[in-house]
Amino acid sequence: MASRTTDAPSIASHPDGVAPEPAIALSGLTRVFGVVPAVVRVDLRIEQGEVVLLRGPNGAGKSTLLRVVVTALSPTYGGGSVLGFDLVRERDQIRRRTEILGHRTRLYEDLTGRENLRFTCSIHGIDLRGVDETLERVGLGDAARERVRAYSHGMRQRVAVARAILRQPDVLLLDEPYAGLDAEGKDLIDSVIVDAAREDRTVVLATHDAARGSMAGRTLFMDGGRLLPVLDGPARAGEGRA
Amino acid sequence: MNLARQSGLIAAKDLRIEVRGRYALGAVLPFAATVLLAFGLSLGPDRTLLQRTAPGLLWLAVLFASILSFRRAYESEGEDGALEGLLLAPIDKAAVFLGKAVAVLAQLLVFEAAVLLLVTGLFGLSLGASPLTLAAAFVLGSAGLAAVGSMFGLLAESPRAREAIFPLLVLPLTTPALIAGVKATSLAAAGRGASAGGWLGLLLAFDVVLVAAGTLVFGQLLED
Repeated sequence: MASRTTDAPSIASHPDGVAPEPAIALSGLTRVFGVVPAVVRVDLRIEQGEVVLLRGPNGAGKSTLLRVVVTALSPTYGGGSVLGFDLVRERDQIRRRTEILGHRTRLYEDLTGRENLRFTCSIHGIDLRGVDETLERVGLGDAARERVRAYSHGMRQRVAVARAILRQPDVLLLDEPYAGLDAEGKDLIDSVIVDAAREDRTVVLATHDAARGSMAGRTLFMDGGRLLPVLDGPARAGEGRA
Repeated sequence: MNLARQSGLIAAKDLRIEVRGRYALGAVLPFAATVLLAFGLSLGPDRTLLQRTAPGLLWLAVLFASILSFRRAYESEGEDGALEGLLLAPIDKAAVFLGKAVAVLAQLLVFEAAVLLLVTGLFGLSLGASPLTLAAAFVLGSAGLAAVGSMFGLLAESPRAREAIFPLLVLPLTTPALIAGVKATSLAAAGRGASAGGWLGLLLAFDVVLVAAGTLVFGQLLED
């Protein structure tokens, strides 16, 4: 059972009397690298099932924020929770339920795309039988047995997308996922977001691509490490827009 | 999934990468051969001197080669941020340390078999006098080196640490294994394997301490 953080914002009531934990709840979260603050006193609440678009210029702190949420980085000050699990004390629980698709694809160059996915599935305890089918879905059926070293950036990104599809995380964080992808690849990312939303999973999408992100229920802006005031209200994903 | 299975998955992955990249054969072995040849030529044709110095030179070559292997073990993790994938995986982080140590140990043992043949040919080192003691010395010594490398190879992820901190930390730590390995190998080569028990015991103790320390602290080293 998750222990809720004391500094997480209070949660809304639920019709059946059981209050659902917010997907992401941050309170005064700050992350500093050396003496340089990358994320400054961020308060944020994202409900389960929401699709949220995160925008901001380069260096705004979007990537750092997402990496803190997925527990790749620790908060320097402040805290928060993901699905009710504390960002510092319950990292393993968060890691089981989240996936980030970031700037780096986290692949082994000397393994094939298929071997990379099979390794990921093995360490995450996921059935290996879905690997080939997923590689077909992301358009890598023919290249599945080639080493990643020979892949283009777009192909690597597709393997990372396949990993996200196989893991089916409760919270999916996408950090510039469209970078280096062709139109078909970008549509693939959108289909992953729409599928996640349909299954009531939470998605946070950070992108500079102005043409993408229309399925988001709300947009957040970051600049200088700070989260700027929200422009439009929250809306549950899968209800109309997705 | 238990720790042994998780460690096995990581070791198998590392060995597959090593076999694909042929790093040990392509870079480490020629490097060791060059070191041994250079020492052999500089010591001259005195066969007694060559035989006396052979165990030390052999272990020195193993140490240099193992440092290259340690770096390589983490290079593949750093190429595209794969180490973060292991960090975020729901596994015991000690499995990363143990898996990498097992993979490095397997590589070192293969490497040592080749280097032993080279040293026998170049320096006239006797292998047949106490083969079990010799085998024990290399297995135990390599296990200790692999444990040190897997624990601190993590530092090789950062270019600055790779050049400065990594050798400063690793070389002093491997000294007990190096001394005990040389002594046990000398005794084995001289046909006095029965007298090497104390040195083998030291190697075993070194292994136990390093493996236990790595299993306990590696998770903290890996975290942010």
